Amino acid sequence: MAVPAGLDWVLVIIGEIMIAVGVISDLIAAIGLLRFPNFYVRLHAATIGTIWGAFVPLIGAALVAAGADFLGRYRWFMAGGAVITAVLILILGPAGSHALARAAHRSKAAVVQPKVVDHLEEDSRAPSPKEEGGEESEAEVKEGGEP
Amino acid sequence: MTVSESEVITFIIITLPIYMAAFTLYAVRALKGPTIPDTVLAIDAMTYDLAAFLVVLAIFFRSPILIPTAIVLALWVYALDIYVAKYLESKEMGE
Repeated sequence: MAVPAGLDWVLVIIGEIMIAVGVISDLIAAIGLLRFPNFYVRLHAATIGTIWGAFVPLIGAALVAAGADFLGRYRWFMAGGAVITAVLILILGPAGSHALARAAHRSKAAVVQPKVVDHLEEDSRAPSPKEEGGEESEAEVKEGGEP
Repeated sequence: MTVSESEVITFIIITLPIYMAAFTLYAVRALKGPTIPDTVLAIDAMTYDLAAFLVVLAIFFRSPILIPTAIVLALWVYALDIYVAKYLESKEMGE
């Protein structure tokens, strides 16, 4: 039931450090999301806010809840729920960001304004048969052109 | 020696203004975002952080009932991501 004496302080201090790291990177991610020039650069800041700003403080909150005696009997429920939320965010956050980025690029909803190079757009616009490994694409073109 | 309650509560009180500043900046981007993906991305990041904030608040208020709300919030914002991505890609909501 109870954590061994002395170990509860270790849990609480480590958890508070993780919550502090999470809060700081949360603020950094918010500033980055506000200041970055276009959608694809803002994705970088948003995923920092997802993993470092949500996953890490959730694990820290679980450690704090496991070590804090004053929460009573339900602190193990709080610790377990925090760990489950953290694992869900670890799996779902990158998946959602990838789906959103792919949809934004395919539908051209987000304009790439300060752009250096966009190979994905060139590939999707003109599939040229003269490139390396062109046998498959040539065969596809021939098949498509037959009827 | 048991963990002092006032130490944990003081730490959480210190973190609250930083959370509020971060949420304000996220909300500015969500309201201002020039395109739909920008708005959805800002709401996405803000809601994941809100789930973490709810767990911290559950420790602060000593109320375990706030934990399931955090799980539900994380799952719904993932559903928002997938629905918006599907709508942007094929201009329909699916089944």
